[in-house]
Amino acid sequence: MEIGEERSGRSLVIAPLGRLDSVSSGELERVVVARLDAGERRLAIDMAGVEYVSSAGLRVLLLAAKRLKPPAGALVLCGIGPSVRTVLELAGFMSLFAVEPARPQALARLESTAP
Amino acid sequence: MSAGETRRLSVPATDEGIRAALDALEGLWTAQGVSRAVTWPVAVSLDEVLANVVHHALAGRGDSARVELELQLEPGDPPRCELRVEDDGPAFDPLAAIAPDTAAGLDERPIGGLGIELVKRLMDEVHYERKDGRNRLCLVRRLVAMEPEGA
Repeated sequence: MEIGEERSGRSLVIAPLGRLDSVSSGELERVVVARLDAGERRLAIDMAGVEYVSSAGLRVLLLAAKRLKPPAGALVLCGIGPSVRTVLELAGFMSLFAVEPARPQALARLESTAP
Repeated sequence: MSAGETRRLSVPATDEGIRAALDALEGLWTAQGVSRAVTWPVAVSLDEVLANVVHHALAGRGDSARVELELQLEPGDPPRCELRVEDDGPAFDPLAAIAPDTAAGLDERPIGGLGIELVKRLMDEVHYERKDGRNRLCLVRRLVAMEPEGA
């Protein structure tokens, strides 16, 4: 799977593209874990290019949220389309994440995060 | 209106097999001109079911283990999709698993069992039977748009 990355100040955006399924989620997990291990503490995951997400993809989002739980860090999801939103809601995941409409708002929220 | 279409395929119980099955499903939509806006719940469900078979029922069996699939699309308003998934692994009814607590907080949230719970919520019908030493799962969904609760 293609995974875009964009640095903005103290924040990093990771943007997976395509189907976030049981096969491709491992690739996203490797990138997310590598960046967290390297010390990233403000992370946005931009889902705008994600066609759909299955539980394997939710597992990666949950992993990132646990490692970036405040005050250790901050995670914001953005670019969530109808299919991704529906799966997040069915799984009861919406309440677990900070969500913004698009990347600019996600970055603004991350930059305003203390400290 | 075009006639219904059925695709039968046998894939190895590996990630490559899951990929091949999802690609075949996409091929079915494309051939019948069905919008992705209504097909994604079926694709997510097939991924969940196959991941379950590959990583649990047939885990450790190597490349020789295979999963038999029948993907069926009946035209109509709305179209109806039916998937059959068969394997010869140990008897395992995924529908009998205990549903996860989807209201738990971040720290208490388990991931196991979530996939099958999603399948139950995304598909109209899900049936399991053990027959002739094989696990048979049948999934049905009418292809109508599925909107987020807040929409």
